[in-house]
Amino acid sequence: MCPTVLGRVQTRVAILVGPALLATILSLVTGDEGWIVTIGLYLLVAIALDTTFYPRVIRWQPPWLTFLLGMTEFVIVFVLVKVLQPGQPGFGDPDALLGPGDAKPILLFWVSWLLAVTTRIVVLPIVSLSWLENGGEFRVTGWSIPPEAEPLPLLAAVSPEAAQGRLLRELSSVHAAPVQRRPPLSGAHARPVTGRSPDR
Amino acid sequence: MTLVQPRDSTIGIVGDGFGSALVYTTAVYLGFRPEQITVFGPNDNPVATYQQFAYNLGQTILRSESESHFLPADWPTFAQLDAWARRSLAPLFRSVRRRYNPGVAEILAEATTVQRRLGWNDNRLPVRIGWLQREREPTPHFTLYDEQANYAGRARHLMLAVGHGPLSFPPALAKAREDPALADRIVQAYDAKAYAAGGRYVVIGAGIASVNEWANALDAGAKVVSLLRNPSPDEQDLNTPRCFFEALGIDAFQGLPFDRRLEFLGQILKGTSPRRRGWEQKVRKGRQEGRFEQLLGEIDEVRPGPAGLRIHVANRHGPDPGWLDVTGVVACTGFQKSGLTLPLLRRLVQFYGLPLQEGRLLLRSNCGVPRLDLPQSRLCMMGIHANPVIPHGDTIAGLKYVARRFVADCARAERIRYRPFPSRLRLQLSLASSSARAMRQVRHAEQLA
Repeated sequence: MCPTVLGRVQTRVAILVGPALLATILSLVTGDEGWIVTIGLYLLVAIALDTTFYPRVIRWQPPWLTFLLGMTEFVIVFVLVKVLQPGQPGFGDPDALLGPGDAKPILLFWVSWLLAVTTRIVVLPIVSLSWLENGGEFRVTGWSIPPEAEPLPLLAAVSPEAAQGRLLRELSSVHAAPVQRRPPLSGAHARPVTGRSPDR
Repeated sequence: MTLVQPRDSTIGIVGDGFGSALVYTTAVYLGFRPEQITVFGPNDNPVATYQQFAYNLGQTILRSESESHFLPADWPTFAQLDAWARRSLAPLFRSVRRRYNPGVAEILAEATTVQRRLGWNDNRLPVRIGWLQREREPTPHFTLYDEQANYAGRARHLMLAVGHGPLSFPPALAKAREDPALADRIVQAYDAKAYAAGGRYVVIGAGIASVNEWANALDAGAKVVSLLRNPSPDEQDLNTPRCFFEALGIDAFQGLPFDRRLEFLGQILKGTSPRRRGWEQKVRKGRQEGRFEQLLGEIDEVRPGPAGLRIHVANRHGPDPGWLDVTGVVACTGFQKSGLTLPLLRRLVQFYGLPLQEGRLLLRSNCGVPRLDLPQSRLCMMGIHANPVIPHGDTIAGLKYVARRFVADCARAERIRYRPFPSRLRLQLSLASSSARAMRQVRHAEQLA
């Protein structure tokens, strides 16, 4: 797949809908906002990477990269969870490198990742026939350039019939006789001398 | 059971090959009823022509990758289907490393299963279309006639999936083939042929067909002289660079003027072949045994000779290789790309004054045929004739790309109700399951990459 930047962003948002729903339910059930905020952090990190880093280094994205990119994103999100502590005590361990409280964000990330990857591989191609072909963008199944927007060639040559028209001859540099010299369009001109000024 | 008489259809498909099957499948998947679609063509199986070519070529795997196959949607991919069919993870591992290519027998089994399940043949009128008339009253549509000028039905939207033109030979070989004594020694890669052990064969070209023929001849114990026109043929996994299979590349390609697109196609579609472990080993062994050599040049004269043929090879890049005695010549020079080589297209060009450039129809950016295509009654082309619009138009992925957009245009024009997601998923899974069962029955093709 050769995703476009827009395609990366659209796809990322679409595949994180499922994890966001899951995290919302978990937050409501446990009364801990850490679940949904962690998904929000994941989305922010992912969009930042999708718009700035990935397009520069990955043009064609082979399938084997999926897991590698997931690992990278996990490390960044995990560090952010450690630093920002988005949840109630017990959601992430701020003191230890890997404490018992870290199990929740780690589990959430990888369940979300699996859900997101499944959505991308299974659901999106069924929802939109042209999603994959459109570099991950959710376009209407249509043509890259509709015929109305097709660039037309500029013709340097004009047929003799067309050149006979009055308007065209006047606009061209071909004239029947030498053109009389006329004052420039701007500059100092003599004031009209005829007539009186109205206040006299 | 095919159709026995003409009928009015919403979508007509002129042609009975891969393209036809993909348009039909996509239309049914999106929500058209089978009886709204009519296929026009004499073949009772959309894979028949390809199957014959693949057999003649000795081809066992496709150059395409896992996404190019005959299910309407892109999931499951062919590697996933194969893994499911064989209960093996090997296709998945290969696919992840982009080292998976669908086997010919397997993909044809899938195509046959899908078309049978969706009733492609039941909605086929077994005639070859010879003429189509654009009608504007009472509503825009096309009236179709067969090669004998018999009425063949009407269709609101029409897809011309007429396939390639005839096989092409370089001028000196085409002339030599007029001599009955020489004709059967000069064949195309896609023709039926048999190599004799100890024979010496010239294989012209550097594309995937040529590489296949090198391997076939070496396998038969023959000697191969590979004749190249250019000093350094390119190596390329797919017949078009990867990103030209998707929006990123196609958008950029379509932004070019038509003549620049033709020039670009000339560069990227000329004689490229993928790296294949099996082929490399065979050629290396052939070289070691003195049974494989490569020459640079073009055949400019052919005469009868003691070995069968005596050919003269001229080289524009250096000294002429001169006269060679050979058993036969295999031209891997492909098909005629000119639309004028197909009778129906030639008639349309002549009658409607369709614009041409270098023998290629100047299609619109939506693959529409200029002067005849209307948004409310589309006339579209696919396959090799759509290459100037879609660079990979003559691949399975390219056929799918055009089929999906054409059917979507028809659906918008007809304001049909799209098949809902659960129904799509059910249909896709059901087709995938049937295909996997069919694939289990055929011999597993060895992967060569």
